[in-house]
Amino acid sequence: MNAATGKKPFSLAKSRRTIQWLVVIGTFVLGLRHIMPGEASRGGSFDSFCAFGGIETLLPYLFTGHLLKSTNLLNFSVLIATLGVSLVAGRAFCGWLCGLGAIQDFVAEWTRKLLGEKRHVRGKRGRTILPMRLPAALDRPLRYAKYLVLAAILIASLYMAFPPLREFCPVRAVFGLKMTGLLWLTLAVFLAGSVLIERFWCKYLCPLGAALAIFNKISPVRLAVDGDRCNQCGRCDIECSMDIADVPHHLDHPECVRCMECLNTCARDGSLTLQIGYKENRI
Amino acid sequence: MKMHPRYYPAILIAAYVIFLLFGILLGFGPERGGGHGQSMLMQLAFVTPETLA
Repeated sequence: MNAATGKKPFSLAKSRRTIQWLVVIGTFVLGLRHIMPGEASRGGSFDSFCAFGGIETLLPYLFTGHLLKSTNLLNFSVLIATLGVSLVAGRAFCGWLCGLGAIQDFVAEWTRKLLGEKRHVRGKRGRTILPMRLPAALDRPLRYAKYLVLAAILIASLYMAFPPLREFCPVRAVFGLKMTGLLWLTLAVFLAGSVLIERFWCKYLCPLGAALAIFNKISPVRLAVDGDRCNQCGRCDIECSMDIADVPHHLDHPECVRCMECLNTCARDGSLTLQIGYKENRI
Repeated sequence: MKMHPRYYPAILIAAYVIFLLFGILLGFGPERGGGHGQSMLMQLAFVTPETLA
């Protein structure tokens, strides 16, 4: 509480958490709407609200003029919105607006609490063993898996009637409420992965994240570090949910989901800042 | 140019909504779907100098 104004200071972390809860609740409502009677009359299945559905159905639409079954033209609007956010602020969609990203953040937080972490101290490594970080030798090659998943899906989309990821889609597994055996399996793997490794899906498998990674290099809203003020304390590295090493030197890293936890955690005023424009982000 | 972090969430939401509306205005709305549509490439194929003139 600011004594002079009587107002609480602005918290980016709280804003993000609020937005994430709203996204999760909103997606559950979409899932609920999907299982209610009369779905067909409401224009579009659950899949038609998915940004990645737009990518899955894009090539078939361009080459044949037909959308994949269960997708809809609305998928393109959702994809355009996701690309628009990415064009402005990099992979901020993943860090702020993705329902799966939110669920993974919640699961990681709940896991720490269940394993005995009473209060999270920013910039301090937790004592709990989970979620863990994979060794770099294993982590680095696995990060490329999502690009392979994306390429495989794009190729497969040309030969399939339904979106290729549909039967294994974690969004349908978590929010869809119309479960199949494969979706139960997907849900189990997704939750177990999220308990074991923070943002497991984003790091290793998410094809949408792979498609958005390039935007971190070109978006005008970005982080900047003041080299004179940053003392390389490593607090931002500890707080990074994507486990990016040496954050101040990798502010445009393709893995960064722009969650701004590094900015929240930085203890040196003015060391990390948000900037608009294409000026060198290492001052 | 530096930016106060308080504007960051608003920028994200505004960008999402604006681009979503832009997509819908382009014709990618739910009511026009249903699995069949004319390919954008096919539509481009009809654009010739004569049709543009």
